[in-house]
Amino acid sequence: MKSYRKTVIFDIVVTFVILAVTFFASLVLNDLFEANALIPSMFVLAVFLIALSTDGYVLGLISALLCVLADNYAFTFPYFAFDFTVQENIISAIIMIVITLTTSTLTTKIKKIEETKMEAEKEKMRADLLRAISHDLRTPLTSIYGSSSTVIENYDNLSDKDKIEIVGGIKEDSDWLIRMVENLLSITRIDNSNVKLIKSDVVLEELIDSVLTKFHNRYPNQEVKLDMPDKFIILSADAILIEQVLVNLLENAVEHAKGMTELKLNISQDEKKVTFEVIDNGCGVDKDKIKKIFLGYYMSEEKPKDTQKHYMGIGLSVCSAIIKAHGGTITAKNAESGGMIFRFSIDSQEVSDE
Amino acid sequence: MNNRYKILIIEDEANIRKFVTALLEANDYKVLQADSVDSGIMMFTSYLPDLIILDLGLPDLDGTEFLKTIRKDSLVPVMVLSARTSEQDKVDALDMGANDYVTKPFGSAELLARIRSILRVNRRSAETGRLPGGKFETGELVIDYDSRKVFLDGAEIKFTQTEFNIMAYLSEHFGKVLTYSAIIRDIWGFSDSGSIKKLQVNMANIRKKLNLKPGDNKYISNELGVGYRMHDDNKKGM
Repeated sequence: MKSYRKTVIFDIVVTFVILAVTFFASLVLNDLFEANALIPSMFVLAVFLIALSTDGYVLGLISALLCVLADNYAFTFPYFAFDFTVQENIISAIIMIVITLTTSTLTTKIKKIEETKMEAEKEKMRADLLRAISHDLRTPLTSIYGSSSTVIENYDNLSDKDKIEIVGGIKEDSDWLIRMVENLLSITRIDNSNVKLIKSDVVLEELIDSVLTKFHNRYPNQEVKLDMPDKFIILSADAILIEQVLVNLLENAVEHAKGMTELKLNISQDEKKVTFEVIDNGCGVDKDKIKKIFLGYYMSEEKPKDTQKHYMGIGLSVCSAIIKAHGGTITAKNAESGGMIFRFSIDSQEVSDE
Repeated sequence: MNNRYKILIIEDEANIRKFVTALLEANDYKVLQADSVDSGIMMFTSYLPDLIILDLGLPDLDGTEFLKTIRKDSLVPVMVLSARTSEQDKVDALDMGANDYVTKPFGSAELLARIRSILRVNRRSAETGRLPGGKFETGELVIDYDSRKVFLDGAEIKFTQTEFNIMAYLSEHFGKVLTYSAIIRDIWGFSDSGSIKKLQVNMANIRKKLNLKPGDNKYISNELGVGYRMHDDNKKGM
């Protein structure tokens, strides 16, 4: 509702500015050329511009009437007085109204078409995502279902070692499912409110504390080298979502950066932004694949292989969606020394002196 | 075997109840089961368990109703187990008197650690107490309520009045997640728009003085958007 009122106010301001400019320009032109043949076309232009740049018909119609009145009052004989007996004026009024109506209709139509196009695109993305997810859920579910029934039906024939191994597989696949569901929840958190986030004040140190604690719980053996400013910094962000981004990026490195020996999280601050970098020294990614890295494979031409489970898809595309919703961008590039650098920035508040 | 802890689990999902029961029994706890708020209250009044594990989405009433009912006259620790993940859900349950909040899905190790942590607190308060005049110890951290001093590794750490008050409050509720508003109410008595920030600044100073690095998960952990909790110095013992 608020934004609706805002656009109305904006439209009124635009209308007023265009009318005023036209009126005074006409006065000047009238003095300069002493030819009032120019005046009606000036007003027609004004009405056309207003109808083009405002929503709906109302403002266009009002300004059309105003223009007719202004023309009548200031630029036709008798000057600076109304005179409604001249037929010319009535005809010019009708012409202006027709121009307003057709222009407004056209612009409204174009706007509607654009809206449906965007809606359709969103719908397609959602459908693609759903398809990709359903495909990806099937693999771990198959393994969970198969493994558990194997243990139940062959309990006496399996050695203890086999049983532990099979049940371990169930645990691994459930772990993967848990992470998938967390990412999906994050997406709904963005989608629900139409990219309106619940931003709050987040203490940077607490955020990183939470991220690293979560990460260490999942990967107790992977050390993260942390480099961050030793200051009290407050971010304006959705804490849970940014936490998800950082955890995803760190996990992505562990899962995909083959040969990685060092994982770094660098955080730096300039006047208004805090920049996060997740850096690994693993195998890196092919140049042509980097461009698509945030799209998830469902947007790329390659068909997912049936065996492929730990793809780079949804985790990174969730990161990108979250950062986009925060008004920023996330980038990925190969480091010169090998490995990948993921980087994004978040708005910060000034540092408190206390 | 008589002094085994009794744990009541109130959960309508039979599979979850089954595996939690198996897990707890394998770790030498005595387990009571209920599948609704009604039967939960009945089990609670007749067996007086040492700890309650409570699901929020129950068939007859919401789990928070159970919490409200028993909190009228009991301090028994309650651990909420829920699929609801928003910060507000956690804050609500904690402010209603829950001691801890575990979101589904959870791992068995995590669940056991949290149960141990809660039960240890309760034993501590029954034996020595965290009364003023006493001392609080966990790991290398010692809080002397009488002289209002804090020691880490035997060396005194200088805290401001407010910082000490926060430390004392957290230690008095060792193991329990304390929400921002609960801490603010205790320390300042009132809250205004800047209260949370004031608390966060104080917490940042406390962490710095205790030399806690992000990700350490030592002594004090923070739940983003919810609050803080004091616990042991290492994860394994938790």
